[in-house]
Amino acid sequence: MRDAIVIALAVVGLAFTLSGAVGILRMPDVYSRIQCSSKTVTMGALPVLIALVVGQGPISSYGSRALLVAALLLILNPVASHALGRAAYKTRVPMWSGAVTDEPREQSGAGDAPADGPAAP
Amino acid sequence: MAHFYLAVAIAEIAITVLLFIRLAAGPTISDRIVALNTMSTQSALAVLFFAAFAGRTIYLDISLWLASFSYLGAIVWARYLERGLL
Repeated sequence: MRDAIVIALAVVGLAFTLSGAVGILRMPDVYSRIQCSSKTVTMGALPVLIALVVGQGPISSYGSRALLVAALLLILNPVASHALGRAAYKTRVPMWSGAVTDEPREQSGAGDAPADGPAAP
Repeated sequence: MAHFYLAVAIAEIAITVLLFIRLAAGPTISDRIVALNTMSTQSALAVLFFAAFAGRTIYLDISLWLASFSYLGAIVWARYLERGLL
């Protein structure tokens, strides 16, 4: 029973990780790729880590380190993704031509280009 | 069960190989940083599962180091892109 839970969790995590990697390969611009990278961690890495916790027990050295890595990923991944997205926007990485909204540009006044922002989509 | 852990580690490495394409072909630096960040997360998981397969607790610290310092590296790269060298 425990082995079945471990295998199911690991397969779910690996499937989501594979889809996230394909998304990073196929998405059209940086911002979409950052979103795929975040999904890879949240839905891909956490089930795999929980599988290790279930398989080895949460008090064993492997299980406790897996929990620690999971907490670290949950805290650090949004911070790093936010910093990367803001840096990409500030360095004017162009958006995809099919992008539908650019909220910082709209808030800074419609029409004129802001001082910091990517080229018009 | 130990061989299943090895299979999970090998699968994570195989997914990492896919991301090398984006790392090599990314049009901007930000694309490459995103790919590198995801690759280091996957390799941390692979090292963790290889430790569970091999029964060596010394590898767990390497996994923890990879998971924490890869994100620190991403944040440092983002600050460098925004403000240049301090």
